[in-house]
Amino acid sequence: MQIIFATMSRLFFVLMIGVSLFMLFRGHNEPGGGFIGGLIAALGFALLAMARDVETARRALVVHPVALMGGGLLLSFVSGLPGLLSDRSFLTHWWMEIGSTHLGTATTFDIGVYCVVVGGVLCLVFRLYEGIEQ
Amino acid sequence: MAWIILIALAGAAIARPAAELLGKASGWVMSLVPLALFVMILQHAGDVADGGAVMSTISWVPSLGVDVTLRLDGFSMLFSLLITGIGTLVTIYAGAYFAEKPVADMGRFLALILLFMAAMLGTVLSDDLIVMFVFWELTSLTSFMLIGFDGHKPEARKAAIQSLLVTGGGGLVLFAGILLIGMTLGTFSFTEVLSRSGELVASPWAGVIAALIMIGAFTKSAQVPFHFWLPNAMAAPTPASAYLHSATMVKLGIFLLARFDAVFATMPAFGTTLVVVGSLTMTVAALKALRAEGYKAVLAHSTVASLGILVMLIGLDGEVAAVATVGFILAHALYKAALFFCAGTAIHATGETSLRKLGGLARFLPVTAVAAVLASLSMAGLPPFVGFISKEYLFEAQLTNGWNVVPIVVAVLVNAVMCGVAGVVSIKPFYFKSHRVDAVKHGETPGLLVGPLLLATGGVVIGLFPGGIGDLLIGPAASALHGSPIDVSFKLWHGLTPMLVLSALVVSIGVAIVVWWDAIHDRLRRHDRLFRLIGDGGYHFVVDGTLEIARASTRLLQNGDQRRYTAVVVAVVVAGLAIALFAGPAGFYIAAPDGSLRVSVTLVLALSAAGAVATVLARSLIAALVSVGIVGFAVAVIFMLNGAPDLALTQIAVETLLVILLTAVLLRLPARQRHSRTTGERRRDAALATAFGLVIFLAVASMSAIPIDMSLTEYFGQTSYLEGFGRNVVNVILVDYRAIDTLGEIAVVAFATIAAWALLRGSGARVRTKE
Repeated sequence: MQIIFATMSRLFFVLMIGVSLFMLFRGHNEPGGGFIGGLIAALGFALLAMARDVETARRALVVHPVALMGGGLLLSFVSGLPGLLSDRSFLTHWWMEIGSTHLGTATTFDIGVYCVVVGGVLCLVFRLYEGIEQ
Repeated sequence: MAWIILIALAGAAIARPAAELLGKASGWVMSLVPLALFVMILQHAGDVADGGAVMSTISWVPSLGVDVTLRLDGFSMLFSLLITGIGTLVTIYAGAYFAEKPVADMGRFLALILLFMAAMLGTVLSDDLIVMFVFWELTSLTSFMLIGFDGHKPEARKAAIQSLLVTGGGGLVLFAGILLIGMTLGTFSFTEVLSRSGELVASPWAGVIAALIMIGAFTKSAQVPFHFWLPNAMAAPTPASAYLHSATMVKLGIFLLARFDAVFATMPAFGTTLVVVGSLTMTVAALKALRAEGYKAVLAHSTVASLGILVMLIGLDGEVAAVATVGFILAHALYKAALFFCAGTAIHATGETSLRKLGGLARFLPVTAVAAVLASLSMAGLPPFVGFISKEYLFEAQLTNGWNVVPIVVAVLVNAVMCGVAGVVSIKPFYFKSHRVDAVKHGETPGLLVGPLLLATGGVVIGLFPGGIGDLLIGPAASALHGSPIDVSFKLWHGLTPMLVLSALVVSIGVAIVVWWDAIHDRLRRHDRLFRLIGDGGYHFVVDGTLEIARASTRLLQNGDQRRYTAVVVAVVVAGLAIALFAGPAGFYIAAPDGSLRVSVTLVLALSAAGAVATVLARSLIAALVSVGIVGFAVAVIFMLNGAPDLALTQIAVETLLVILLTAVLLRLPARQRHSRTTGERRRDAALATAFGLVIFLAVASMSAIPIDMSLTEYFGQTSYLEGFGRNVVNVILVDYRAIDTLGEIAVVAFATIAAWALLRGSGARVRTKE
């Protein structure tokens, strides 16, 4: 069972990251968004950590969770700066239209939220699981 | 004018690197900063001479009506000149005083002194009361750092904390008074408060405001019952003491009272309180000065006595009192700074702080000895010194005011003690043959002499030629205080007046005190109990009592038992909600839902209730965890059924994560363990849990019985695509309408996680269960 779980975890991990990114980008129009997407992505990494080990999950994440959290916070903050240029109001979003989809700084803001959630949850998950795996 | 404060701040910023660069010369070089400010302020002398005021405004927090308005009138001019003038001398003196210490110490000290000076200037110059308060507290902070400069000495740390608690706490009281003024008049501008003082006095808050402001000023100026911190503050290095005691912080209380005297002039209780408190302070401080042993201690107690005199003078009405106040501030600053400089040089030279062990120092420190004598003659109030003139005004103010004889007797006696103190601190250590000092460690250097010499001779020069200073400084300052121009005849000889008789009385008693100093001193030292009563016993009672309450409440509330924390939190929530429900105006009610019973919802709710029951009955922790999970997922389904897919998704993800996290925690705990709780404790927990569930049920039922206001829903539904280009209203609100909320939330999440992450660090390596 452990072997099956470990083998399947790879597949599930890839699927869950895919779903989380999908959730993140559809969030503006359909249910989803940075927070939910972030939670799902964190679940994916937590699955990897449970099924294999924390080291694998850490390598899959590439960056340190605290760095991810800081980066996300910074990204969200920076996404508010363009608004200061246009009408001197922080976090007034900029938009541009490509075909029928709107792309804007609000999406960048949501990506920042996503990163903070992933980093924050994984900080705790990795810490807690590090002690018990043998 | 804002340049004045900015230059002072800049000086503080460069002081430390400058000290590294300049070494021993840094005192001289850095003194150019206060000197330049002194000259800058002096240039405005013409503008304020005829009772005018120079104003300059910089907008700061327009939304709160707070502007950095600076106001230079006669009175703030006097203070600014004292602050920068004596500041110049203090800087020079500090350079010489720290010459043999590490250069980093000197840099730190100079930076602090200049920062202190900037804060002082800000306080006396700002017209806006909020801005003034900011600078006021800054002086408390910087003086805390100056008093505790020798942080390795326990008494310095203790004195620093004491001064911060007393003056900082008093500052908060003052802040309450300022806020009340703002609420009553709708302005924080002092100029406007002054012009509308009648309105303020007529308001019902007038008494409270006056009391709060007086308390704030009394703490700063060390009046009874807050008099104890100032003598302890002599733990500061001598240049700081000289500054603190002469020109600066302790005079701020006087400054504030004098300013508000004009506002509260029509309130008789204001003046009466000041006279009573001032007289009490004078008496207590004079007794303590006679009893004190240390050189700086005697001077410090005499400072408290002088502050008492000033408070009493402000309490008196009339033109003469205004002139006397201003004159005394000037005279006292000149001689007290000089005497502290001399004391510092003597202590520096011998390493001996007790007056009883110093004698015959004039052979080694001849110039300092001369300066000390000159300064103390002014302090004793002898002609032709400025101290004499100010004392004559003091008595004149008392005699011309309809006060009874008690304050006059107090004033005569206290002045006699000051006269005695002056003799003792200048003649005894330098000229008396007893306890002769045979050698000194450090001699006089130019840097140590400039300050005392200039100030001491200044006292004579002003005394001999009082006309110029009377027109330039005293007149405008007294006029600003009094509110209307005063024709000041600040001169040495007033003819044979009753005041002269009182002066003669003062001097003769003073001489007697000098002669019988040792006898009086020894007798007073035997009265331990009396002096403990008027010392800082009350302060220690309050501080120790507070700490004891803190310890007791910690023992009670923070005993380290996680279950008790949870119980306390739940109990408080239950109580709060219950009170809100039962005592609130809306009350609570459970309305029967309209419409038919929805089978799907009922089924899910029944499942969740089953999960809750299973949790309670579960024997193992894992089983309990799974059962709680049922409840959580059931809630998610309920969200889904009610058309909130975002909430449902979040709930499912969080619930899953919770299982993962709790599993990690549970894996560290033994799988099966007997309950460690007693039956009684478990019953109490059960009761608490039931009460919690019941109250939440009532609250939710009452809330859902109230019709929902749909206007926000409609607004967001209509505008979210037009303005935020998104059809998912929840997400548009999160990232667009209320994005700054979200930003704050993710920042909180990040910081809380980092804290938890740091706490968990290393716990994994230690706890390895599964044996």
